[in-house]
Amino acid sequence: MTLFVPDVSAAYLRDLIVPVGETIGMAAAGMFVAFALGIPIAVAIGTRAPGFRLLVAALSSLRAIPDLTLAILAVVIVGLGPGAGVVALALFYTAMVGRVYADLFLTAERAPLEALRATGASRVAIAAFGLLPLTMSDLLTFGSYAFECAMRASIIVGAVGGGGLGTELVGSLNALAYHRVLTLILVLVALVAIVDRFGALVRRTPRLGLLLVPVGLISLWLNRPGLFSFAHALGVFGGMLPPALRLPEVAALPALIAQTLGMALGGTLLGAVLAFPTSPAAAQRIAPPALALLLRRIFDVARAIPELVWGLVLVVSIGTGPFAGAIALGLHSAGVLGKLYAESFENAPVAPIAALASTGARTLPIVAFGFVPLALGPLVVHTLFRLEWNVRAAAIVGMIGAGGIGQALYQAQQLFFYREMLAYVLVTWGLVALSDWLGERLRLRLGWRFVASG
Amino acid sequence: MGSHKSTNMPSMRSLRLSRRSLLVSVVAMGLEAALPGRARGASTVRVGMIPDAGGTQVSIDQKKPLRDYLAGKLGRDVELVIPTNYNATVEALGNGSLDFAYLGGLTYVKAHARYGVVPLVQRAGDRRFHSLFITQRASAIHALRDLRGKKFAFGDINSTSGHLMPYYAMLKAGLDPERDLTYRYTGNHPATAKAVEAAVVDAGALDESVYRAMIDGGQLDKTKLRVFFTTPPFVDYVWVARKDVPADDQRTFADAFLALREPRQAPILEILRGSSFVRATDDEYLTLRMVANKLQLL
Repeated sequence: MTLFVPDVSAAYLRDLIVPVGETIGMAAAGMFVAFALGIPIAVAIGTRAPGFRLLVAALSSLRAIPDLTLAILAVVIVGLGPGAGVVALALFYTAMVGRVYADLFLTAERAPLEALRATGASRVAIAAFGLLPLTMSDLLTFGSYAFECAMRASIIVGAVGGGGLGTELVGSLNALAYHRVLTLILVLVALVAIVDRFGALVRRTPRLGLLLVPVGLISLWLNRPGLFSFAHALGVFGGMLPPALRLPEVAALPALIAQTLGMALGGTLLGAVLAFPTSPAAAQRIAPPALALLLRRIFDVARAIPELVWGLVLVVSIGTGPFAGAIALGLHSAGVLGKLYAESFENAPVAPIAALASTGARTLPIVAFGFVPLALGPLVVHTLFRLEWNVRAAAIVGMIGAGGIGQALYQAQQLFFYREMLAYVLVTWGLVALSDWLGERLRLRLGWRFVASG
Repeated sequence: MGSHKSTNMPSMRSLRLSRRSLLVSVVAMGLEAALPGRARGASTVRVGMIPDAGGTQVSIDQKKPLRDYLAGKLGRDVELVIPTNYNATVEALGNGSLDFAYLGGLTYVKAHARYGVVPLVQRAGDRRFHSLFITQRASAIHALRDLRGKKFAFGDINSTSGHLMPYYAMLKAGLDPERDLTYRYTGNHPATAKAVEAAVVDAGALDESVYRAMIDGGQLDKTKLRVFFTTPPFVDYVWVARKDVPADDQRTFADAFLALREPRQAPILEILRGSSFVRATDDEYLTLRMVANKLQLL
């Protein structure tokens, strides 16, 4: 593979301006809608408004539909184009923001809220003067993380709708133009880094977050759907009911589920195995700054490349199938976990480490007997969150031939067997809901609640 | 082409609408009327190409000659859209967000059944198209029966030349792909070729025009690969119009393709991987329809 020399000719870079703008626009518009809808929904759940359980159920079902599937369904309603991407992102991230923010609100300090409620304040007032200020730093941390995810996802959903860097990436991969693939991956890495940097700025100066309002509105207008075909959508969605599987398909289900779960487990394990030994060297408290910085950048690159894109690149070298799927999940997970593990080490309490160092212990024993045990809680929680995420991600890489439920879902959709497709969506929903529930139980037992899983 | 109103609402279903969905639909119709006909101007012609067209570069810069040519002939702005999957392309023909599209044979059959798309033109070679079975040069596979117990690659499940016809050829040769070998879908023709070249699989089947283009373009090492079986001819790719596109526009579009000649329009023909175009009819697809039915793909 001559993947290693990017195409940086002026002509090509100029051609990329519009796709890059479309990708940013889709992410900004989608996230604007996600925050605008997700925050009120989270407040409703957080203040236990009537019917909040129904809202929770609705959010988790939405989150269970792979974003690629959502994008194709969006095409049915609003036609091809970046507008479909915006709709898909808005739906998916409304569910994500709504669910996580609701969790944050539900676990916020009770005393100040009770005091507010005692004054007879309305839900809106409780949210504005209680919930939001109390949880602001977590809201911002997760908000910027969600934005970063949306930026990566807009590549995937853009490819379906026929817009942005995704179309260009898939086209270049199909044409085996690896030098361009590399350029596009570098552009993606840069975009994610910019979002990351901006997120850090917003955490310091929350007011900057308001910039999303004008940017989001403008992007929403530029990427507005070209049409709204309600009648068509009604016909198509009606054709999905009732969900159904034929007998041989039912018989194949256990194997498909095992493949999906196997990919998720294998990918998480690979990510952890790659990240665990390297992440201490990415923490500035432990390693020389130059080495830490270098490793962080490597993690950033691995993380910026979505699982699906890793999978597309790997198809050529190791083919398709669950093994390739697990590797794709593992490489992305390694980037995510490497960064999170390193941050956990940075956040380890100072005093015990200093005490250990004063005995004259060398770096390796300090890491092994100081940092690792001290940061064990967050390390485990991050890994569990990744496992939950990877159950969903395994369904997505399944779509490019990695197997499992995702592949079955995608093939049913591609062949217009919509009733089967809906059945597979429901199975995916069950798997994701189950893994969410198990993860939550485990985290509660470990005494940990939400950690921004970046 | 200004109107995009869908005419596909099944009347039985609409009778069963509850009061609430009636309210929703009234609001929705209002939205439908309020939104601009198409985001990029109602007179823009939107043309879609399925991912199979991506055997050669589908990158932005290389689409320009085709787009400019069509815009000149139609006297209107043309937007070339290249979605990455078959399903979205067909649904877009159904709801009017595409006016014309390039489809594979099986996709055409489905799109025709669902939304009544009209076949217009195809490359002369599309009437007698072939799938190639390829393997590594030194492999022991020389005929379809040698595939028994081997690892095999199809392209996309919805592809005529990358799945349907090769699968059928295996059945005809007395081979049951479900039982006699293990197979995978790589997602597209170039990936199949690369998977065979890299020996990730023992053999694979793909579109002959993509294979030739990749060999000619140096993207495949022809010293590593060997074609060991060519399917009997079948009818494949076709350019179609959405049912509601006015007849005049359909004719102009078809004539634009029929008028393509080497060497004057060589760059365009190269994008389309063909040398000349002929008219297409629905009757040509009878056999394909029968095969797809037999394989339970319809």
